[in-house]
Amino acid sequence: MLKIDGLVSGYGSVQILNGANMKVDAQSIVALLGGNGTGKSTILKACSGLIRSWSGSINFDGEDIHNNPPHKIVERGLVQVTQGKDVFPAMSVIENLRLGGFVLNSKQKLEDNLQKVFDYFPRLDERKNQLAATLSGGELQMLCIGRGLMSNPKMIMLDEPSAALAPQIVLDIFKNINRIRKDGLTVLVVEQNVRMALLLADYGYVIKDGVIKVEGDSKKLMYDDTVKDSYLGGGGTTANV
Amino acid sequence: MFKTFRFTRKIENILMLIFTAIFLIYISLSPDMNIDSLKGVLIIGVTVGIIYGLVAVGISLIYTGLDVVNFSHGEFFMIGAFTGLTVYNFLVDGELIYAIFPEAYGVVGYVIGLFFAFVLMGLFGVLIERVFLRPLTKKGGGYTVAGMGIIICGFGLSVILQNVAYIIWNPTAHPFHADLGLPINIAGITLPMTYLWMLVTGFVVAGALYFFLNKTKMGLGVRAVAFSKDISNLVGINVPLYISIIFGIACALAGIAGTLVGPTYQVVVYMGYIILLKAFASAVVGGFGSLPGAIVGGFTVGLFETACSFFISGSHKDAYAFLLMVVVLLIKPTGFFGVQVKMKA
Repeated sequence: MLKIDGLVSGYGSVQILNGANMKVDAQSIVALLGGNGTGKSTILKACSGLIRSWSGSINFDGEDIHNNPPHKIVERGLVQVTQGKDVFPAMSVIENLRLGGFVLNSKQKLEDNLQKVFDYFPRLDERKNQLAATLSGGELQMLCIGRGLMSNPKMIMLDEPSAALAPQIVLDIFKNINRIRKDGLTVLVVEQNVRMALLLADYGYVIKDGVIKVEGDSKKLMYDDTVKDSYLGGGGTTANV
Repeated sequence: MFKTFRFTRKIENILMLIFTAIFLIYISLSPDMNIDSLKGVLIIGVTVGIIYGLVAVGISLIYTGLDVVNFSHGEFFMIGAFTGLTVYNFLVDGELIYAIFPEAYGVVGYVIGLFFAFVLMGLFGVLIERVFLRPLTKKGGGYTVAGMGIIICGFGLSVILQNVAYIIWNPTAHPFHADLGLPINIAGITLPMTYLWMLVTGFVVAGALYFFLNKTKMGLGVRAVAFSKDISNLVGINVPLYISIIFGIACALAGIAGTLVGPTYQVVVYMGYIILLKAFASAVVGGFGSLPGAIVGGFTVGLFETACSFFISGSHKDAYAFLLMVVVLLIKPTGFFGVQVKMKA
């Protein structure tokens, strides 16, 4: 589905990615793991066209999408859900969701997708006329994922869906991610919560210093000491590991 | 060092009410005060206010969409007035309209003039944005050092556009004799038809803008891009296209406002300068970056200015708008509808 070869990118003149290689198969959940500042989010931003990739190639669904404008990439069916729970706070939940389906041309499809999202997240249905600013953290994350699903994507990239959420809500959201995959979507999930992500995913990549250090089956990665080492950067502890 | 000091919202509102009360008591003690003059001030104030509001909405739209203050906006107003005048004169002098509409040639010519001012200024705005502002916004937009460049570019653009208008239409004042019919009498006030046109067209355009922004898909996109370009990118909105649309709409509003004002004064190359500053004051009073705020601010500035120049002294007309702006900035820095926004250039 998505194939990244030798991706080099960064912000301004600061190079973050130093030739990352990744492959995401269709209808799988792939986890991209790593500590702070290792380039996880940068890979996603390069894939969704928010930042330019300096060299290397990004192949999505058989086509090269490297340095396409962001809206073209969304039209192709690759959607990113950002980390910061970015919504339009002054718009209602339903308006936020409608914006997610901005690339759809038919009204019927928009309504169908709306129903689908409400089916995944009934909480959003209850609060559809509320302003997005009044939602709780978990509901905001649901809204972000729901908005990503509105455009009928083939693949969705989630940037830390568990960040700053209570364990119960994280579990709920991860269950829904699994359900989204069962409905035929491909999911790439970037996480700091290693155990949860590996329980969810089929395959995992560990990134460090802008290159993929370890990859493998998630069941195997879970007990791999090198994962622990590269994740911790040779020191310090993280509560999640 | 310095501590930032702000009144709480409640105290701000009480202070604004006290200021309003003092102002109202002051003008009601004026010897000119009677019910007829009050009615006149209200109608003229609202009429002038809707024009300030339309230009201020444009400034606010560009501010939210491109993250910069557009200092060349007054020139779009001026060129819009010239466009309306030229189209009107061409149609009426060409005697084509006489043949088709012998009764209402002036009205038909004026409506076509308004339409052309709206459409041509919109397209002109898109062109200006693509050619002059796009390279600058590409370098990072209003939040960065390039934002300062865009502001200076706005000043430069203002001078260039004035000189282009100077070459095309020469520097003399052009009278705009729109033949719209005899003055009418509303509630005992004799009002020239041009004022009625300003009033009605202004409200229709403002209403159409409200409908466009809140009920159409493109309007939803405009609001999204105005709030955040990053999220808009993620949901698949063609952001560069929408920035052009925002700039085009803002310029089209200025153009139609110019043609509306034209017949009441004269059309001059220098007319854009003062309306820019007045509209700026309106936008600040209403809350910078807020569209309903811009319209309300326009009404406030228009009413305040008209009341002051009628009841206090007419010779300082242009100063009152800024007096109000200074008072609002002192008491309620966010304006009526404003929120404390992120830093923009």
